[in-house]
Amino acid sequence: MDKQELLARIQQVLAEQFEIDPARVTPAARLYDDLDIDSIDAVDLVVQLQALVGRRLSPDAFKAVRTVGDVIDALDHLMRS
Amino acid sequence: MTAERAWRITATAFCFAVFGLGGLGFLLLGPLLTLIPGTARRHAFTRGLMRRGMGAFVLLMRGCGVISLSVHDAHRLQRRGQFILANHPSLLDVVLLIALTPHADCVVKAALWRNPFLRWPVAAAGFLRNDDGPGVVDAAIRSVRNGNNLIVFPEGTRSMPGAGLRFLRGAGNIAVRGELAVTPVLIVSSEPMLPKHRPWYRVPRRRPHFTVRVLDDLSPTALVPEPIPAGLGARRYTERLQQRFTEEIARHEPATR
Repeated sequence: MDKQELLARIQQVLAEQFEIDPARVTPAARLYDDLDIDSIDAVDLVVQLQALVGRRLSPDAFKAVRTVGDVIDALDHLMRS
Repeated sequence: MTAERAWRITATAFCFAVFGLGGLGFLLLGPLLTLIPGTARRHAFTRGLMRRGMGAFVLLMRGCGVISLSVHDAHRLQRRGQFILANHPSLLDVVLLIALTPHADCVVKAALWRNPFLRWPVAAAGFLRNDDGPGVVDAAIRSVRNGNNLIVFPEGTRSMPGAGLRFLRGAGNIAVRGELAVTPVLIVSSEPMLPKHRPWYRVPRRRPHFTVRVLDDLSPTALVPEPIPAGLGARRYTERLQQRFTEEIARHEPATR
């Protein structure tokens, strides 16, 4: 799965879980400030992303995540490792 | 300035001093309270003490004319395992609610754990801190299931006077994820009393009359009957709860809006 595909899947997850318009889900979009995803939502999001990449995600992998682009990079890194 | 208002400024200062002394009492009592064996018993004892203290404080404020108060359907708060949500116009709201509610648990600003007076009572009572997003949601649900009456202000902080209600999602997350019934409580003050951004000594022109109105429970599916993911459910719950509070306040207290 390349980064473009990852973005599309994240857009889909955010639309299903939180009804966020996919057009707003760009790599530069900040999860908290722009998309209104708080720390409680982030727990749900990690569960969904785990299903997406078929791996367990450690909370640490997402500590530094601020933007959608950060999420894509973290997932991409995980799938390569 | 009228004599009555001058009196209220003096009486308000006196009440604050008494409240501080109460806190000081807890400061001295704090170490003793920690000796009570068993977390549950320690919390229950502290909460009982706090409730009686707040009850006495409400009587004091009414007695010396700082506020007047009417309470409707207080019997609805006399159960176990309730999730109580109230709007938050004044610093006194939590005092009124704790005085009216047995077995009260609260989600409290983390800053109170750094307050030299209030840190003791909030710690000994085992209240929940608001600074641990997902953790506090789980802890809140557990508290209600264990039979506590959990009090939360969905606004997260006191209302901005003159602006409409603005609920945050924390309360909605607790209600949706715990599938909890909610007991809504409307608190209305005829005059802004200890609202945000106003020093205590600027007391209102007339004596504020507080009305506390406990509404019928909202069943877990009353506001969001549709089956949807929890994150989305919490968003809709929050919107609809805010709408419901806004309507109910306008319906019951038309004069104040």
